[in-house]
Amino acid sequence: MTAVLSLRQAGRSYDDGHVVRALRPTDLTIERGDYITVTGPSGSGKSTLLNLIGLLDRPDVGTCHILGRDASSFSEAERGALRGEMFGFVFQAFHLVPGRSAVENVELGMLYGRHPARRRRALAREAIIRVRLAHRADSDPRTMSGGERQRVALARAVAGDPVVLFCDEPTGNLDGANTENVLELLRQLHGEGMTLVVVTHDSKVAAQGTRRLRVDDGVVREGA
Amino acid sequence: MHGDSAVPTRSRFRPRDLFSEAVLSLLAHSGRSALTAAGIVLGCAAFVATMGISATLSRQVSASFDIARATQVVVHQPADEARKSGAATVGSPVPLWQRPTAVDRLRRLNGVDSAGPRMTLPERTLARTLSTGGSDTQAKIVGVDAGALAVIEPHLIRGRYFDRFHDRTAAPVVLLPANLARVLNIDRVGVAIFVDDRPYTVIGVFDDVTRETATMGSVVMPFSTAQLLVAGSATVPPERAVLIEVRPGAAHPIGNQAPLALLPEASGQLESIAPPDPLTLRRAVEENVTMLVLVVSFIALGVGTFSIATAATAGVTARAAEIGLRRAIGARPRHIFVQLLTETTLLGTVGGIVGSALGIVAVVAVALSNGWEPILDVRTAALAAAGGVVTGLIAGLLPGWRATRVQPVAALRQ
Ligand SMILES: Nc1ncnc2c1ncn2[C@@H]1O[C@H](COP(=O)(O)OP(=O)(O)OP(=O)(O)O)[C@@H](O)[C@H]1O
Ligand SMILES: [Mg+2]
Repeated sequence: MTAVLSLRQAGRSYDDGHVVRALRPTDLTIERGDYITVTGPSGSGKSTLLNLIGLLDRPDVGTCHILGRDASSFSEAERGALRGEMFGFVFQAFHLVPGRSAVENVELGMLYGRHPARRRRALAREAIIRVRLAHRADSDPRTMSGGERQRVALARAVAGDPVVLFCDEPTGNLDGANTENVLELLRQLHGEGMTLVVVTHDSKVAAQGTRRLRVDDGVVREGA
Repeated sequence: MHGDSAVPTRSRFRPRDLFSEAVLSLLAHSGRSALTAAGIVLGCAAFVATMGISATLSRQVSASFDIARATQVVVHQPADEARKSGAATVGSPVPLWQRPTAVDRLRRLNGVDSAGPRMTLPERTLARTLSTGGSDTQAKIVGVDAGALAVIEPHLIRGRYFDRFHDRTAAPVVLLPANLARVLNIDRVGVAIFVDDRPYTVIGVFDDVTRETATMGSVVMPFSTAQLLVAGSATVPPERAVLIEVRPGAAHPIGNQAPLALLPEASGQLESIAPPDPLTLRRAVEENVTMLVLVVSFIALGVGTFSIATAATAGVTARAAEIGLRRAIGARPRHIFVQLLTETTLLGTVGGIVGSALGIVAVVAVALSNGWEPILDVRTAALAAAGGVVTGLIAGLLPGWRATRVQPVAALRQ
């Protein structure tokens, strides 16, 4: 069975003035059903890794493969479909659209996908309930707490039922009780068969993963 | 469910979703949107207003066009031609083109209502009595035959016109304008006045004329009577002309044919002065206005395009995070492009419609406040609105293209 995602000697460096090797050439294979947690110090390259395997960025060396196919061979239409339907993202900074209610933000996550508007609305409602935000469904995210926004972002990522869920610090702004809720939700999703890649600073979150990655200075090691 | 192994094929952006996303985006920044559309609103309003006001004005021009002037043609001999032909010499006889045979040829032209020769003599002394002193004054002498008199058409307040008989016999009769009659203390017809010491009988007094308003200050006498004054004087020669009253619309053709009819052997010596054709006049007004409108519209269109384009381009930077998010949730670059284009086109459309409406209001207001009939071509308003649409579309191209350059990671990193 082909791996969902794999990196073959894929690396990424930035050059503004001096070269930053954000991610050194890395080999990584992600199988269906994996629950991968990624830890590492700030600036070590965790988000860079997530962006590469999530097709938000392109490696400048090596290749990234999706279901066995070289990602650089995908058209923009296919990349869009992969990002929108196969992947779900929870960004470190949430990136909710101000002026639209929580449920509208969740719907937005499925805008470019296969579902018609009515279906998107129904799925968004379900997801909002799932993250226990039914009472804030029609609120503007600008009026919400950091933890609530994070849960809206999580609802947006999972509403369309992606194959792989990428989370960059999903519990970063949450207190103990809310962290527990989110962890419970991630466990459930994993139980349903979803593949998870979760970046975290929280050792409790990291402990949940079936595979643990550690990134140090752009170098990825497994089983930390 | 999570087991779908096939790679999803294409991301999509349904037209309905595109439309509602564009509208939501515009409403989310309604202040910025309104400012952006202001250029288009002003441009379209200016276009519709200038077009409408010019149409209203040109209707007004032709409505108030002087119908009397429009039905008159004057044929004369330019000064240099007159010198060449010897007609300018003092005491010259009646030239060929003012003689009855020539004028009869002219009268036969289709479209001529009446016509006749006229001469205007320099100022002469008028007196009530032969004895000098008392009430004498100076006035020009106008000699006309019955046909030319009909063209001038003095409005008599007393007495009667002279006729062909008076003209044929060079009868010493005159018509006086009311102001001269007052100066000479004449309050009835049948009395005599003296012009250069020759007696004439006043047979009519007039207070206005339909054509040739210059006649208002002159003594009017039969053409042949006036010719006697020419023969007997040593002063400057008279100004000679043939006056023609034409049917409405015939001024131009008659103006062209008259010199030939009057002087077939040398029509080039004569010049006819026809009134400006109302149609030509209106066209001239419209041409002027059309130029103005074109300039105004181009400026407006430029300003509109520029304001939308700059605002939208600035908006791309301000919205980089949102654009990056859209890319991250599946939007293709072209989806971003069409959304931006749709937004600016919607702005242009709304701006165009609002602007056209304001323009219409302006035209109606200007027309009504002047008591004119407002003339508005629906096509003008439609054209302005269409201009708004096109402006919006064009203005969206650059920012739309720039938005496609926004990379998801770079935008999301902020
Ligand atoms: N667009 C960029 N231009 C220049 N340098 C960049 C860019 N993006 C990332 N970097 C650098 O690459 C390195 C890795 O960044 P990355 O965001 O992956 O770190 P991270 O592990 O996610 O950190 P954090 O835990 O703080 O989120 C950092 O040194 C960062 O400054
Ligand atoms: Mg990070």
